[in-house]
Amino acid sequence: MSSSGDILNGNRFGPGLPPGSGLAVSGPRRDWLGAIASAGTLGIAPFLIFALLFLLLPTLGLVSGAFFDTHGHFTFANFGQLTQPTIVSAYLISIEVSAASALLGAAAGLIIALAIGRGGLPSWIRSTALTFSGVASNFAGIPLAFAFIATLGRLGLVTVLLRTYFDFNIYRYGFNLLSFWGLTITYLYFQIPLMVLIVMPAVDGLKREWSEAAETLGASTMQFWRYIGLPVLWPTILGTLALLFANAFGAIATAYALTGSSLNIVPILLYAQIRGDVLHNENLGAALALGMIVITGGANILYIVLRMRAERWLR
Amino acid sequence: MRRSRFLPWLVFILGAAYFLLPLIATFDFSLKLKRNVYSFAAYANVLGDPLFRQTFGYSALIAVCTIIVGAVLIVPAAYFVRLKFPALRPFVEFITLLPLVVPPIILVFGYIRMFGSSSWLPFTASRQGTNVLLTFGYVTLAMPYMYRAVDTGLRTIDVQTLTEAATIMGASTPRILLRVIFPNILVAVLSGAFLTFAIVIGEFVMASLLNRPAFGPYMQNVGANKAYEPAALAIIAFAVTWAAMGMIQLLARFAPKAASHDE
Amino acid sequence: MFKITGRLLSLMAVGLFASTSISSAASMDDLVAAAKKEGQLTTIALPHDWCGYGDLIAGFKKKYGLTVNELNPDAGSGDEIEAIKANKNNKGPQAPDVIDVGLSFGPQAKADKLIQPYKVAKWDEIPDNAKDADGYWYGDYYGVMSFEVNKDLVKNAPADWSDLTKSEYANSVALAGDPRSSNQAITAVYAAGLSKDSDAAKAAEDGLNLFAAINKAGNFVPAIGKSATLAQGATPIIIRWDYLALADRDALKGNPPVEVVVPKSGVMAGVYIQAISAYAPHPNAAKLWMEYLYSDEGQIGWLKGYCHPIRFNAMSKAGSIPKDLLDKLPPAENYAKAVFPSLEDQAAAKKIITSKWDSVVGANVK
Repeated sequence: MSSSGDILNGNRFGPGLPPGSGLAVSGPRRDWLGAIASAGTLGIAPFLIFALLFLLLPTLGLVSGAFFDTHGHFTFANFGQLTQPTIVSAYLISIEVSAASALLGAAAGLIIALAIGRGGLPSWIRSTALTFSGVASNFAGIPLAFAFIATLGRLGLVTVLLRTYFDFNIYRYGFNLLSFWGLTITYLYFQIPLMVLIVMPAVDGLKREWSEAAETLGASTMQFWRYIGLPVLWPTILGTLALLFANAFGAIATAYALTGSSLNIVPILLYAQIRGDVLHNENLGAALALGMIVITGGANILYIVLRMRAERWLR
Repeated sequence: MRRSRFLPWLVFILGAAYFLLPLIATFDFSLKLKRNVYSFAAYANVLGDPLFRQTFGYSALIAVCTIIVGAVLIVPAAYFVRLKFPALRPFVEFITLLPLVVPPIILVFGYIRMFGSSSWLPFTASRQGTNVLLTFGYVTLAMPYMYRAVDTGLRTIDVQTLTEAATIMGASTPRILLRVIFPNILVAVLSGAFLTFAIVIGEFVMASLLNRPAFGPYMQNVGANKAYEPAALAIIAFAVTWAAMGMIQLLARFAPKAASHDE
Repeated sequence: MFKITGRLLSLMAVGLFASTSISSAASMDDLVAAAKKEGQLTTIALPHDWCGYGDLIAGFKKKYGLTVNELNPDAGSGDEIEAIKANKNNKGPQAPDVIDVGLSFGPQAKADKLIQPYKVAKWDEIPDNAKDADGYWYGDYYGVMSFEVNKDLVKNAPADWSDLTKSEYANSVALAGDPRSSNQAITAVYAAGLSKDSDAAKAAEDGLNLFAAINKAGNFVPAIGKSATLAQGATPIIIRWDYLALADRDALKGNPPVEVVVPKSGVMAGVYIQAISAYAPHPNAAKLWMEYLYSDEGQIGWLKGYCHPIRFNAMSKAGSIPKDLLDKLPPAENYAKAVFPSLEDQAAAKKIITSKWDSVVGANVK
C-alpha cells in the first residue's frame, strides 16, 4: 500500500497534484499530515484498548496457565503432554476438518455469491439470500447436528425418501453422516453463508465496466475470470479462507453432538479439560488452547504471505 | 447481449436445496409431538411462554447495541489501518481471529475475574454494568466477522482517492468517515450486522454465566430434555431472526446512499 | 501479583465467613431470617428436568420468598468449580452459592479451599460413605445406569449388558456423552464391565472390551444420545442414568413409548454431592437451601424426579415416602444389587477408560 506521501507525489491513480495547487510541501502539508496521523491514532486507539481489555488480557490469563502445573509451579510439562498420540491426532483431525470445510465452503460460497450478485437473478433472491445467510451462518451446535441427523441420518427424511422412491440406499454405498465427511458436510451449513456474506461486497465491486471492456476486447467469459475477475477477488478469497478455517477450528458444539463419542477434535479435548465432569486439568486445557492459537496464527501468516503475493499483481 | 441464466439458476436451486432440506426435516419432526398426527402442539407450547418474548426482546436489544458499538470501534480502526498504518495489518487481523479460537467460557471467566464487584472496574456490581459487559463480550465475539466484512468493503472502494478528494474539499476526518466512507461500505457493514445479530441471539455461555435473561439460556432451558419442543424452537428462532434481519435491511435503505451502483 | 492478592483476599473471606456462619441448624428461625435478609440465592448447573429441580426451585422460592439466580444449567462439574474460582472476588449474582457436582470433585474442592462446611439437621441420616466427615460435602441423590429404549423401533429391549452385541440392535446403541470426558459415559462403560468383574481396574477393561464388541458388531452409534435423537430414531437405545431416562419417558408421553431397563447384572450407582461455596455471597440462603433439600419435602422432590434421595433408606423405614410415588419407581429389587464404587475405584476406572477408549474401542470413524 502506498503511503500518504504519494497522494501528493503521485501513485497509480494519477500524477498527483500539480505544484502550486495550494498545498505546499511544508507548513500546511505537515499540519495536514499531522492531523491525519493524530486522527488515525485516535481512530485506532479505541479499538486497540478495547481489544486489550476484553480480548487480550482475558486470553492471556488463560494462556499463562499453560506454563504452570496444578500446584502453581512453573513448568513446560503441559507442552510435553501435547505430544500424546490422542492429542496429536486430535490436532490433525481438527486441521483436516477445518481445512476441508474452509476450502469447500469458500468455493461453494464464492459460486453462490457470484450467482446472486452477477447472475441476473431477480432482485428478491439477493436480499433473501443475504438475510438467510446471516441466520444460517450461526445455525450451529445441537440444532444443526439434529437437523442433519433428521435429514441424512439412517432414518433421515432424505435417506428414507431416496430409499422409498428411488430405491437408492445411500448407506449401502458407504455414506455415513456420523463420520469425517458427514461432519464436514454439516459444517458447510455455516461456512458457506459466512463466505457469501463476506465476499458479496467484493463481488459487487467487480465493476460492470470491466466485463464490458473485456468483452469489447474479445475476451471470453473464462478469460475474464481468469485474468481479471479471480485475481481481483483473490485477496478477499484468501482472507475469508483464513476466517473460515479459524471458524471451523474453534467450533465444538456441532462436532460434539454429531460425533462426540468417536471423532476427537481439539476443542472437545479443551472443553473436557476445562469443564469436564472428570478430567479437569486446566493447565493442560490452557496448553491445548495455546496450541490452537499458534495454529491459527500460522494459518494467518500463510494467508498474509499469499495475499502479499497476490496484491503485488494489483500494484 | 443475453447472458445465459441457466448456470446461476442451477446454482441457486442446488444451494436452496442444501439449505432448506435440513430445515424441512426439522420442521417435519417438530410437527410430530402428538402421536401419528401432524400438529402444531410443540409450537403452541413454545410460543405460549411469555419468557419467549421477553428473552428474545432482551437479546434483540443487546444485539442492536452490539452492532452499533462494533461498527463504531471497527470501521475507523479498519479505515486507518488501511490508510495510515499498513504495517499493523497482520497484527490487527490476527487479533480479530482470536475470538474464534478462544472459547467464550474462558472470556467470560476472565471478565468476571477482571471486572468483578471488587475490581477496579466493577461491571458486575450492577445490572446495567453487567449489560454493558455482556455487550462488550458480544462485540468481541462478533469482531472477526465484523472486521472481515468491513475490511472487504474498504478494499473494494478506493479509500485513498476518496479520502484525498474529501480532504481537498475541506472535510474533517470524522466527516470523511461518516459521510464518505461509511455509505460506500454500507453493504459490508450490513453483512457484519447480520452476522453479529445472529451470534448475539443464539449466544448462550456468556449470557448464562453473567446471569442475564437472554434468549440463548432460555432456548437451552427449553431444549434440555425434551424432544419436539427444541425442534420447534429452532424453527421459530430461525424464522424470527430472519425477520429481524429483514427489518435491519429495510432500515438500512434509509441510511445515506452510496453515490455509485444500485442493483 | 494477582495471585497473591487473590490468596490474601480468599483467606480473609474464609475467615469472615467462618465467623459469620451459624453453627448448627438448631436456630432454624434465625437461619430463615438471615436468609431472607440476603434475599437471593445463586445456583448453577441445575437443569429443570434433572431430578425435579424445576419444582424444587419453585417450591423453595414460594416457601421462603427468595429470588433464585440460576446460572448455566448446562454446566458440568468442572464448570461449577471454575465458576467458584472465577468469582472469588465478585459478590454479584454471577457468583454461585451452592454446587451440585460428581462425587470425585468433593475432596479436591475441599483441598482447594473452595467450599465451606455445614451440617444439616438430618446429617446423621446421610450414610457415612457418602459424606465428608467434617461436613464439607455431602451426598444428595443417586441413580443407576440403565437402558432407555425406544419401543417403536426396538421390539425386544435388551435385558443385560451382553445383549447389546446382538444383531437385532444394529446401529442402535449410544452413550449420553463422550466417554473420554463425561462422567455419565464413563460410568456406563464401567458398569458394563462390572457385570463381569468387581475389581475396578478389571471392570474398566472388561467394559472397554464389551464396547469394542458392540462397535465391531455394528451396533454402536457415535452420536451423543439425547431425547430428540431417541425419538427421531438415530439412537434408539441410550445408556444413561435411570432418572434421566424416566424423566424422558414422562416427557415424551408415549410418543414414542419408552421402556427403561435396569440391567440384570452390573448395576452401578452414581452419587452426586452438594456443597456450599467458600466465597458464597449469600451463605445463609445457601444453608437454608441445604436444609430445604434435606428435609422430607426436598428429598421427596428429588424422588419425584426419579432420583433416589440419599436419605431414602431412613425415610422408607420411617414410612415418610408416599406409596403412589414408590409405585411409580422401577421395582426395588433392581436397586438392591446396586454397587456404590468408592472414590479410589472410580478414579482407577476413570483413568483406564479415558485413556484407552480410542485404542480399544476404536470408534474413530474417518
